[in-house]
Amino acid sequence: MKRYYRLSAVLALLLSGLMAACGDATPTVPATTAASAQTAATTTAVTTQAATTSATTTAASQATTVAATTAAATTVASTTQVAATTAAAAGTPKRGGTVVIAQSSDPGQFNPAITTSGGIHPFTDQMFNGLVGLDDNLNPVPELADSWVVSDGGKVYTFKLHPNVKWHDGQPFTSDDVKFTFEQALLKFHARTKAGLENVLDKIEIPDPLTVVFRFKQSYGPLLQRLDVVEASIIPKHIYEGKDVQKDPAILKPIGTGPFKFVEYLKGDRVVMERNPDYFKPGLPYLDKVIMRIIPTSSTALLALEQGEIDYLGSVPGSDIERLKKNSNITLAQGFGGSGGTLCQDVLIPNLTKAPFNKLEVRQAFYQALDRQFIFNQVYFGQGSPSTGPISRQMWAYSPNVKIYPYDVAQANQLLDKAGFPKGADGNRFSVTFTHSATSYARLADVMREQLKQVGIKLELEGLDTNAAVDKVFVKKDFDLGVVSYCNGSDPEIGVRRVYVSSNIGPITFSNGAAYKNEKVDQLLDQAAAQSDRAERVKTYAELQKILTEDVPYFWIVDSQGYRGYRSNFQGFRVSAGPFLEVAWVK
Amino acid sequence: MRNNGLGRYFIRRLLQALPLIVGVVILTFVLIHLAPGDPLTILAGDGGSPSYYAEMRARYGLDRSIPEQLGRYVLEVLSGDFGYSFSYQQPVFQVILNRVPATLLLMVTALVFSTLVGLWLGVRAGSRPHSWSDYLINVFTSTFYSIPVFWLGQLLILGLSVGLNLFPVSGMVSVRESYTGFRQVLDVLHHLALPALTLALSFMALTTRITRTSLREALAEDYVRTAQAKGLSERTVIRRHALRNSLLPIVTLIGGQIGLLITGAALTETIFAWPGLGRLLLDASLQRDYPLLMAIFILVSVTVIVANLLTDLIYTMLDPRVRLS
Repeated sequence: MKRYYRLSAVLALLLSGLMAACGDATPTVPATTAASAQTAATTTAVTTQAATTSATTTAASQATTVAATTAAATTVASTTQVAATTAAAAGTPKRGGTVVIAQSSDPGQFNPAITTSGGIHPFTDQMFNGLVGLDDNLNPVPELADSWVVSDGGKVYTFKLHPNVKWHDGQPFTSDDVKFTFEQALLKFHARTKAGLENVLDKIEIPDPLTVVFRFKQSYGPLLQRLDVVEASIIPKHIYEGKDVQKDPAILKPIGTGPFKFVEYLKGDRVVMERNPDYFKPGLPYLDKVIMRIIPTSSTALLALEQGEIDYLGSVPGSDIERLKKNSNITLAQGFGGSGGTLCQDVLIPNLTKAPFNKLEVRQAFYQALDRQFIFNQVYFGQGSPSTGPISRQMWAYSPNVKIYPYDVAQANQLLDKAGFPKGADGNRFSVTFTHSATSYARLADVMREQLKQVGIKLELEGLDTNAAVDKVFVKKDFDLGVVSYCNGSDPEIGVRRVYVSSNIGPITFSNGAAYKNEKVDQLLDQAAAQSDRAERVKTYAELQKILTEDVPYFWIVDSQGYRGYRSNFQGFRVSAGPFLEVAWVK
Repeated sequence: MRNNGLGRYFIRRLLQALPLIVGVVILTFVLIHLAPGDPLTILAGDGGSPSYYAEMRARYGLDRSIPEQLGRYVLEVLSGDFGYSFSYQQPVFQVILNRVPATLLLMVTALVFSTLVGLWLGVRAGSRPHSWSDYLINVFTSTFYSIPVFWLGQLLILGLSVGLNLFPVSGMVSVRESYTGFRQVLDVLHHLALPALTLALSFMALTTRITRTSLREALAEDYVRTAQAKGLSERTVIRRHALRNSLLPIVTLIGGQIGLLITGAALTETIFAWPGLGRLLLDASLQRDYPLLMAIFILVSVTVIVANLLTDLIYTMLDPRVRLS
C-alpha cells in the first residue's frame, strides 16, 4: 500500500512534467479568443498603435475605397466595420487618479532596448521614450528629438534633441545616451532594429550633447518609422555603461525618461508605476498611478473588468463583445491593429518547398475554397476585416489594386483538377496537416476543415501550444500548413519585408516560413527601403502587393483589429500598446 | 538509542533518494529538450537575422547536442549553480523563492480545509454506511472530484464573485488600497477564499472516501467489538479506537498531496491570477524557460521525497506495529 502511493506520486510528478513539456497541459483558457489575441500578445512585436478619431476616419475611408473598387469581391465589400472610437472624447482632462490595467504575462525584466517581446513593451513603453514618436497615422512626431533634417539624398539624418530632459534619477539626458543605446543594446540585441539597421547604418555621431547624426551607407527611407519607443527605446548610459545590458540587476529597476516612473514589481502579480513629475512634455501625464496586474486567463481578466477590479483590458475576447456592448460601465474601442502589435494579420503559411502547395493552381484553389467572409463573421466575430493581401488595409502602404480571390468552390475544384489532383474514391484529393496553436486557432481550424471538405482537401488538425507550433513551422520546417499572426509594424520595412524576402528563408521565427523566393519581390523590397519619399514608396509597395497576390505564397485571412475594453470613467487611452497611457485621464 | 536509530534511518533514506533525484533530472531534462518548442523567441525576440539567432543560440549553449547540454547542466547543478531563468534573467532560485509564499499559503489552507472537512465527512459516512447521509456525502464529494478544477474555479467566480459579489475575482490583494496590519491580513484572506475553496473541494473527495473505507474496516475489528462490549459510547469508540487505526492510509494520501502541493495548483493559480509557483511552472513550460523548468522539477522531486519520508515517520508514531528498518 505504502509503496504504491509513493510510486504513484512520483509517476504523477513525471506525468505532469511530461505534459507540461509537451505543451498539452494548457487547458486553462477555454477556446474563446478566436481572434488570435494570444499569439499576437505573447509572441509578436508590440508596436505603436492608436485609435483616436483621425485614425478611424482614415481607416473608414480606406475601407470604403476598397469596397468601391473591388465591388465584385463579396469578401471585401462588407468590411467597413470600423467602430467610431472616440478615445479622446469630449471634456477637459484633469490630473489625478489611478488606473489598473490587465496584462496577460509577466514582463520578467525591464530593459526595452534588448528585446522585441510583446510581454515587456506594454510595461516599459510607459517608462521610456524613443527619439521619435508616431502619431495615429504612424507619422513621425517629435519625442526625445525636437526636430530632424534629412540630407545627402536620404543618407544623413540629423536630430536635435529636446533640452533639459531628465532621467527618472535626475541625471540629464544627452546624445551620449542615444549613441550608447544604439551601439551597446539595440544594434546588438533588439532583433528587429539590429536586423534592419546593422547592414545599412554606417555610424552614429554626436557633435554636441543635443545633436545626433545617423550616417547611412546608402539612402534609407524607413528610419523615422523605427525610432519610436517600441523599436528603439533609449536607455541611460550612466546606469548601464560597462555592465551586461541583458543581465545586470538594473534591468529590474528601470530608469527611463518616460511619463511614468517605476515603483515596484511583484512577480506574477503586478507592476506599479507613478507619475513622473519632471516629464519633459508639459502637463503630462494626467494619471498619478498606474498598476499593471498580471492576469493570465482572458476570461478572468474580463470578469475582473466587469467587477471593476481592473479598469482596462487590452484584448476583449471576440465572443464577449456583444454582451459587453450592453454594459454601460464599460466602453469598447476598436483598436489600431491586433491586440499586441501594430497592424497584424492572421496568415496561413503553406510549405512551398513541397507538394501540394508548390503548385500555383493549388494555392489559388485553396484560397478560393475558403469562405473568408464566413470565417470573419464566425471565427473573428467581425473584428477587423478580411484581408486582401500582404499589407494590412490600415497601413499607409496598402493597395486595393490587387488580384482578388472570391469564395468559389466550383472554380477551386476546377483548378485542382487541372493541377493534377483528381478526387479519389473517398472524395478526397489530398490531405494537408494544419499545424496551429490550439489556444489561438482551434476554432479557425475547425471551420477550415469543414470548408475544405467541399473541394476534396482533407485537413488534418495538429493543435499544439504556441511555442511548439512556431517551432515546427519556422525552425524545424516540419509542416504542410501553418498559421501565425504577422504584424506589419509601423512600416512595411519592419513587418512585411521579413515575411517575403528570400534572405529570410531559414530557421527564423516569424519570418519567411513558406520559403518564398522571388527575385522581383526582393528587388522591390530593397527599392522601397532606399526611397525616402513616402509617395514613391507607396507606388513601389503597390507593385509588390500586386505580384504577391498573383503568386499567393501565403493565405491572408484577416487584418486584425481587436477590441479594447475599459471602464467608462476613463478617457484618452491611445487604445494601443506603445505609450498608450501618456494622455489617459479619469473623470 | 531510539533517536540514534532514527537519525541513521533518516540519513540512509536521504542517500537512497539521491539516485532518484538524479534520475528525475536526467529524465525531465531529456523530455523537455525533446519536446517541440524553442526558448529562442524569449531570448532573442522576433524579426532578427539568421546570424543573430545563431549567435544567441551559441551564447546560451543551445547549439550543443542534448547529451552535452545535459552533462554541462548536471555539472553546474552539482556545483550549486542552477542557472539563470531565460525569461527573468535572474538566478532561478531567486525567481522560485519569490513565488513560494503565495503557493504555500494557498496549498496549506486548501489541504487543512480539505483534510478536516474530508475526515469529518468520511467519519459520518463510514459510521453510518448506506444511510441517506452516506449517499449524500458520496454524491457531493464525487461531484467535486469529477469537475475539472479550471471549470469549477470559473463557476465559483461567476457565482460567488460576479453573482453574489462576495469575493474578489482574482489576485492576492486589493491593489488600489494600501492596507497594513490586520486589514492586510483580512484582505489576503478575502482573496484566498475562492482559490483555496476550489482546490479543497477537489482534494476533499479522496480524503472522504478513504476515511470512510478505512473506518469501515476498523469498525469490523475485534478490539472495536471489545470497546463496544465495555459499554463505551459510539463516539468514544470511533474517536479513540477506530479512527486512530484507520488514519494510516489517510496520512499516506496527505503525504502524497503535499508532494504535489507545488504543481497541483497550476490551473487554480492561473484561473485566479494567484502569483504562485504552479503558475510559474506553467509559464516556464509555455515559454520553454529550461533552467527555470528544471529547477522547479528538482524542487518538486525533493519535496515529494521529503514528504514521503515524513509520512513514514508519522506512521511509526501512529502505529507501534510499524517499525523503521
